[in-house]
Amino acid sequence: MKRKLVIIGSGPSGLVCAMSAAKNGIAPKDILVLERENELGGTLNQCIHTGFMKNLTGTELATNLIKTVKKAGIECLTEACVLSFNKDKVLTVISPKSGYIKIQAEAIVIATGCREQSRGVLSIGGTRPVGVLSAGAAQRYINIKGYMPGHKTVVIGSTEIAFIVARRIAIEGGTVVFACEPKSATLADKKYLKECIKPFNIPFKLNHNVTKIYGKERIEAVEVCQLDKKGKPIKKTKQKIECDSLVYSCGYTPDVDIAIEAGISIKRDTKGPRTKRNYETTIPGVFVTGNAHYIHKTIEKILSEAIAVGTNVAKSLKPTQPKMPSDKKAKKEKTDENNAHINSENKE
Amino acid sequence: MSIKSYDVAIIGAGITGAMTAFQIAKYSVKVAVLEAGIDVASGSTRANSAIVHAGYDAKEGTLKALLNVKGCEMMPEITSQLGVHYKKCGSLVIGFNARDLEHLKKLMERGKTNGVKGLRILNKTELHKMEPNVSKDAKYALYAPSAGIVCPYDLAYAVSENSATNGTDFYFEYKVDNIEYDGKHYTLYAGDKKVKAKYVINAAGLYVDEIAKMIDDDLPFEIIPRRGEYMLLDKSEIKTAKHTIFVTPNEKGKGILVSPTVDGNIIVGPNANIVDSKADTGVTEEGLDEISKGARVIVPSINLGAVITTFAGVRPTPTSGDFYIKESEKCKGFIHVAGIESPGLASAPAVSEYVLDILKKAGLTMRKKRNYIPTRTKDGNCKLFYEMNERERRQAIKKDSRYAIMVCRCEMVTEGDVVNAINRPISAHTVDMVKRRTRAGMGRCQGAHCRTKVAEIIAKELNIDISEVKKFSQNSKLLLGKTK
Repeated sequence: MKRKLVIIGSGPSGLVCAMSAAKNGIAPKDILVLERENELGGTLNQCIHTGFMKNLTGTELATNLIKTVKKAGIECLTEACVLSFNKDKVLTVISPKSGYIKIQAEAIVIATGCREQSRGVLSIGGTRPVGVLSAGAAQRYINIKGYMPGHKTVVIGSTEIAFIVARRIAIEGGTVVFACEPKSATLADKKYLKECIKPFNIPFKLNHNVTKIYGKERIEAVEVCQLDKKGKPIKKTKQKIECDSLVYSCGYTPDVDIAIEAGISIKRDTKGPRTKRNYETTIPGVFVTGNAHYIHKTIEKILSEAIAVGTNVAKSLKPTQPKMPSDKKAKKEKTDENNAHINSENKE
Repeated sequence: MSIKSYDVAIIGAGITGAMTAFQIAKYSVKVAVLEAGIDVASGSTRANSAIVHAGYDAKEGTLKALLNVKGCEMMPEITSQLGVHYKKCGSLVIGFNARDLEHLKKLMERGKTNGVKGLRILNKTELHKMEPNVSKDAKYALYAPSAGIVCPYDLAYAVSENSATNGTDFYFEYKVDNIEYDGKHYTLYAGDKKVKAKYVINAAGLYVDEIAKMIDDDLPFEIIPRRGEYMLLDKSEIKTAKHTIFVTPNEKGKGILVSPTVDGNIIVGPNANIVDSKADTGVTEEGLDEISKGARVIVPSINLGAVITTFAGVRPTPTSGDFYIKESEKCKGFIHVAGIESPGLASAPAVSEYVLDILKKAGLTMRKKRNYIPTRTKDGNCKLFYEMNERERRQAIKKDSRYAIMVCRCEMVTEGDVVNAINRPISAHTVDMVKRRTRAGMGRCQGAHCRTKVAEIIAKELNIDISEVKKFSQNSKLLLGKTK
């Protein structure tokens, strides 16, 4: 199979990037979006809360984006997992419908999003029973499967998803018996405390951490400690809190194994691919967008970046484009052009 | 109901019991393996350093020394027969001063007496060339090229599956609580369940003493539960160490090591603390601090921010210090395989042969099976998708399109792999059983993404509701009822 542009991932960044590339001159039939799950939309599908562009829910935004992309005639394959790609931009893809296939692309966009950090970074003592899960997993169980991971839950972390999941548990009839953040400030905007924590009377404490897990089969309790300025537990503040589940959220990291395996250089601080101004990675013709690039603060920022990436990819694919002179003036014009595009896109 | 009767009953499906079952399965002997846990490798075998020790640690002339060196030599053949990942990566014991050097020389002499091949002492330049990240203060090292790494539970599954394929019956959640002997047969009870056997092999690991008591036999030593804590680092850190690196041992034991694992992670640990309960596999903050410090002595630049999980295992340390493999003097045909602590994994192949010799001497006739199947299943060794080459992947997908559905991207596990694990001779019917057989959930996201999917596949294959799917034991269901 041959395609001008292959986009890996159909979350908000992948879909918007596809649209942007199409609007900037790549024929929709030359674009292919590959999604490893069985539906398009990425993580948006489990976000049933509002706050996505003019107060849509995540699922509503996903539905809108999918509609637009399909209407434009861009082909999207679900259950298509990219095993690898190489510097010649040949992708190896598996899918139950097409089997084991190779796709030759002229350009690739990595839009694989991010994943949660594992609990290893927490290094909590105690046993390893069932009922300890990441906020993302808890959200999937509740919102997609309709099952409760627990009824008496302790939540560690102050990311948006930690707060949103705490609220979901409360709404679904569970109790969040304790929530805490080891640092001295919340990672997410304070408005989440107001929206998700206070209305449900969830006890939330900064500078606190879970220091031990009890329970052989299912989690039975946790030990919670206040932390001193250096982050060390203050022993006399120890308290035991009974619970049947522990939900943790330790932040996110770009999900770019595939880029690392292809030999793309990764930035130490963002853990995402190193990029040029035009979002091209260290492999020419391979671009990156969204949370796979770096963890973005808001969905708006993800979408505007995706538009810019789509524009740049389209530009790079134009047949006989004379090379841009590399003096400062030209570069400035280029970025202005991009921004103008983002703005007009946002106004639509 | 008629009681099932066997020639041999093996109590315990840890590496010792499983390996023994594997060796006996080559002969026309009826064997049952009775395991208290839900799975093979539920005890000490599950959580240890995963090292195939070369054999210079054990005192000259001990059974441990003999079986360690021999077991280490047997490992390449067994692992290649069953398609188990094994790597002869070699080990280094590093020394910082003249006193350490003296000790290393002693270890080398001991190793040579024990029959370890290729031992030599490296100088600073050689050491740092072989291990660029090792502490700059390390001046010497004892190099043992025959040491290796293997995944202990993977090996235990492989030998068990082969044994089951060749007709051995495995009983899980079969906690032997009473044994009767009528002078000819042993009856082994577990609650209201019972099986009969002419010979019994007590390979109950931490619980060998308790099993011995059931036939009024007292082992001439005590079993002390000693816990070791570990940290596992992300695959991104694989360059930390190429060999298994120890520091010069002291009276407390071999001490903390830094080693690659055969799956491409870095393992750090263990400490050694006596615990009250044989089931205390909890990790402690102090313990993790201790092993972090120990690791930094070996590799000061180690990136402990890349820890993906922490765990602990309990080892059955005999107060006598040596392995004890003997037929009971009181009860004929009842063989104790006790005190198998480290290097129990490396020794297992030799331990099992040793047990077979005792069985023969005790009167069991062992004729080679004509239709012995040398692989894990009748269809071969069941490669996992990530182990396959391109041609094999194409074929697997053509045969079963579920091999084209990715379940765990971190470790490249497909639905086909999971389904295969569920339908193997020893079925993986819990999330953790699937995880240890396929590696789904063992990568850097530690199952955050794939655990639900694995649970769904188990539910589908076993035709149960997802809320009935367990993580590892009866009371470890993943989910607690539906949402509102």
